[in-house]
Amino acid sequence: MSQSENERFNQSPEAGAVAPCWSCKQPVAARALFCHSCGAVQAPGQLDHFARLGVAPGFDLDLDRLEKQYLGFQRAMHPDRFVTKTAKERAIAEQQAVSMNEAYETLKDPLRRAAYLLERAGTTAAVDKDQTVHDPELLMEAMEAREQLSEVATIDDLEKLQVEAGAKAIDLISQLSKAFAADDLDAANRAATRMKYWRKFLEESRARRAALEDAL
Amino acid sequence: MAYSEKLLDHYDNPRNIGSFDKNDGGVGTGLVGAPACGDVMKLQIKVGADGRIADAKFKTFGCGSAIASSSLATEWVKGKTLEEAEKIKNTEIAQHLSLPPVKIHCSVLAEDAIKAAIKDFRTKQGSKDKAAE
Ligand code: FES
Ligand SMILES: [Zn+2]
Repeated sequence: MSQSENERFNQSPEAGAVAPCWSCKQPVAARALFCHSCGAVQAPGQLDHFARLGVAPGFDLDLDRLEKQYLGFQRAMHPDRFVTKTAKERAIAEQQAVSMNEAYETLKDPLRRAAYLLERAGTTAAVDKDQTVHDPELLMEAMEAREQLSEVATIDDLEKLQVEAGAKAIDLISQLSKAFAADDLDAANRAATRMKYWRKFLEESRARRAALEDAL
Repeated sequence: MAYSEKLLDHYDNPRNIGSFDKNDGGVGTGLVGAPACGDVMKLQIKVGADGRIADAKFKTFGCGSAIASSSLATEWVKGKTLEEAEKIKNTEIAQHLSLPPVKIHCSVLAEDAIKAAIKDFRTKQGSKDKAAE
């Protein structure tokens, strides 16, 4: 971890939290995997996904670093390392692995990461709610795209639509980045919803492609 | 998952698919979406001189339950006054089609689409009335 990253990381509220070790009762940092007094593996505490994987919180993530951190932690919790330990420690290591997995799956995907950041900031993302939206601009765009997709007759034309949709989805990543940088949660929420719509489009376009190929 | 016969019937033979001209003064358009799944539904009503819904059309890009719900909604609103149509509840749609619990939000989309179409029609009428004053 670089100096500045370390500083930012340590500012996350959970980073400094301390709790007693379940085994020897000595204080251990909430994000520590092992007790530095007795070496016992520690249960996953109430840690934020960023703190859990030891990366600075925010939308712009260094994905290579995220993966490295995750793989390193996963290795430390690998069942092979716990064969000679007690059943309790094996169970704790497994819980740790599950929590890390969840943190990693959430953070590596830009849409899930955005929804998580919104949740963390106190607003549930529209994509996480069962509520209807009325945003005409967004819905008109989605409707038109899906209409085009349903009318497309050749694989060539379909691929053009897919390329356009892919570019839109990528552009939305930078919109999300800007929105979070400016602390504009409404804009971030909206961009996340649009991304969800383009993803659904891409999903449908693959089904459409299969149908067109079958018809050949 | 076993789907009900009524649902499959609406899914296989959707009623009233299509569009009206949304700029037509007698037409109300409801466009709604479910961000949780990324689906979108358009429901339009055409209101007659007697104030009753004379015709309705829909276009839905979504799951089978959403298609069936909107198809059923267009059938149910026909012949109703706006006040009556407004009272259609998603629970009635879900019950009629025997939607499984995970598909309830798809019927909510249909209820919200009816409401949005009525609202759009009223907004248009309001601005027309103002223009006539
Ligand atoms: S799953 Fe999207 S409307 Fe039913
Ligand atoms: Zn200890």
